[in-house]
Amino acid sequence: MKKRYIPLPGYREYLTIGLLIIELVLFSILSDSFFTSTNLTRIIQNSAELAIVSIGMTMVIIMGGIDLSVGSVLGICAIVVGQMLTAGVNPVLILLAVMMIGAVVGLINGGLIAFLKMPDIIVTLATMNIWRAVVFAMLGGAWITGLPPVFGGVTSGSVLGFPVVFLLVLLLYVIFWYVMTFRSFGRHIYAIGTNEEAAKLAGIKVTRTRVMTYAALGVIVGFASILYTSRMGSVEMTVGTDLSLQSIAAVVIGGTAITGGRGSLVGTLAGVLFIAVMRNGIVILGVPSLLEKAIIGTLILLSVITDIVLQHRLKQRRMLRVEAAA
Amino acid sequence: MNRGENMGSHVFRLLERRGILLVVLLLVVIGIMSSLSPYFLDLYNLLGITQFGAVLVLLAIGQSLIITSGRGGIDLSIGATVSLSGVIIGMLVQHGVNVWVAALIGITAGGVLGAFNGLMIAYIGLPPLIATLGTSYLYGSLALYFTNGLPISGFPESFEFLGQGLIFGIPAQVLLVALPVFALFWFVIYRTKFGREVYLVGTNDVAARFSAIPVKKVRFSLYVLAGLLAGLGSVVMCSWLMTARADVGNGLEMQSITVAVLGGISIIGGQGHLGAVMLAVSIVTVLSSGLQIANINSMWQLAILGMILLFAVALNHFILKRGVKT
Repeated sequence: MKKRYIPLPGYREYLTIGLLIIELVLFSILSDSFFTSTNLTRIIQNSAELAIVSIGMTMVIIMGGIDLSVGSVLGICAIVVGQMLTAGVNPVLILLAVMMIGAVVGLINGGLIAFLKMPDIIVTLATMNIWRAVVFAMLGGAWITGLPPVFGGVTSGSVLGFPVVFLLVLLLYVIFWYVMTFRSFGRHIYAIGTNEEAAKLAGIKVTRTRVMTYAALGVIVGFASILYTSRMGSVEMTVGTDLSLQSIAAVVIGGTAITGGRGSLVGTLAGVLFIAVMRNGIVILGVPSLLEKAIIGTLILLSVITDIVLQHRLKQRRMLRVEAAA
Repeated sequence: MNRGENMGSHVFRLLERRGILLVVLLLVVIGIMSSLSPYFLDLYNLLGITQFGAVLVLLAIGQSLIITSGRGGIDLSIGATVSLSGVIIGMLVQHGVNVWVAALIGITAGGVLGAFNGLMIAYIGLPPLIATLGTSYLYGSLALYFTNGLPISGFPESFEFLGQGLIFGIPAQVLLVALPVFALFWFVIYRTKFGREVYLVGTNDVAARFSAIPVKKVRFSLYVLAGLLAGLGSVVMCSWLMTARADVGNGLEMQSITVAVLGGISIIGGQGHLGAVMLAVSIVTVLSSGLQIANINSMWQLAILGMILLFAVALNHFILKRGVKT
């Protein structure tokens, strides 16, 4: 019987889930107000857009790329949502419009990276700054406040005791996990990330897939911006400044290799929750919030170092096994 | 290379092609700026402008060498290193340490911060992007934490001369720091074995290893050098502003990468010349001071820098067929 290669979550994802559980237990012990349903709901609601953006970021990173501009793009989309909400535009139209803007921005990134073959770090570093300036210009130095809670049912509502966003996020993760694992688009992403040359020789349309992945990330960011504006009720200048760091951290902690080819959305979800719980715990325990980025930065470093060490050990063990078999 | 040619002349020829283009660009930019303001073309004004570029010269040297050494070498933490070193200097001065001693410690601190990067990248094998992304957040956040977000003042007046003094109309920063350091590095990179090793490692690190070049040590020392240069830059910054701020370094990594790429340094490594990078520094400096005089917000400057970066990468790729990812 032919064996199909299905990238299922493995040891690395279990490691992250284990860390998440340890973290939950730790914070519950350290603080009484942690493990309450109000707090847990808050954690999930506050991290909804991070979770969604991280889906797209996972796809891009598995493909071997990266996108530093997601925060600024979220900013632009959020402003558009804000302005449309104030103007009373139909919510469905808002959703479509903002996803389209995200797609366009994503296509710009993807086009520069895949078609013009420019390095992804540099392109997204540049677009991050360019879009940030556009955000600044669009806001005109002020904030957008007092937005009507049109989408409020989604962001703050509950169904059967679970926050609606939680179910929404889960649904998106399941859908994209299915695409990544069983559909050719997703598997092509894994292939390109593993070995681009081999993928090209195997007939995969590398450039097109690349562009589509960046565009998909853009659409996802557009979608997430609706949740963001709805939750915050306002858009300020610093919108999204931490987003790229946090989503890269979530993806990396969740076991996706930064070099590409390996990783899964299961791990990313665990990574997102890990970071969300961490941020919440930091506030509850009174750790100075200025250190938050330092902690996340350190976590990123530790995760990647762990990955490298584990890979090394695995390779050694594999070599020993080969020697023993020989 | 033919018999009778050495590395020096080969690289020099690379300089010539890019250099001519940059000189033309520089003249164009000066032309545009002087049309915006009649005071621009004054000799003393032009000399005064150079102070804005002194720190960038230091960082650009460090960044260019790292990118030249290949394997995706990049340092996103260079700005944060400047911030953190500056904060360390400020804190020492606040506790009564002699300012010049504090400056030396600050430079050393920069070197240590750079060494941390180098250790992870060259010896443990972390991808430079993610490693320096992590450390940039770590260092930046630590700087904010130590200062509580407030600038540190209390520098003695004797310290002022370095950053704000003029010698025959030329800023002290440039004459006493930027130019000597550049001259030193010119000598080290283009007249010593180490410099040749840097380019060779960038061109083909496997061949370099088999030629008995200590690849890991070379890459490690480049990160240390970048850190030392960043530390020196923070000394100049502290003297210039007469305060130590945790956000001095924001955006500096973007600037250093932009001038490196504009100056012809290719992301695949082993190409480009520091002289061209210096011309790029001049262009960016003239541009940003012109924008400053025209009262354009610094947010836009970052955006313009982003566009210059994209333009520079496109330039590298298309016209000169360099930096192509095959």
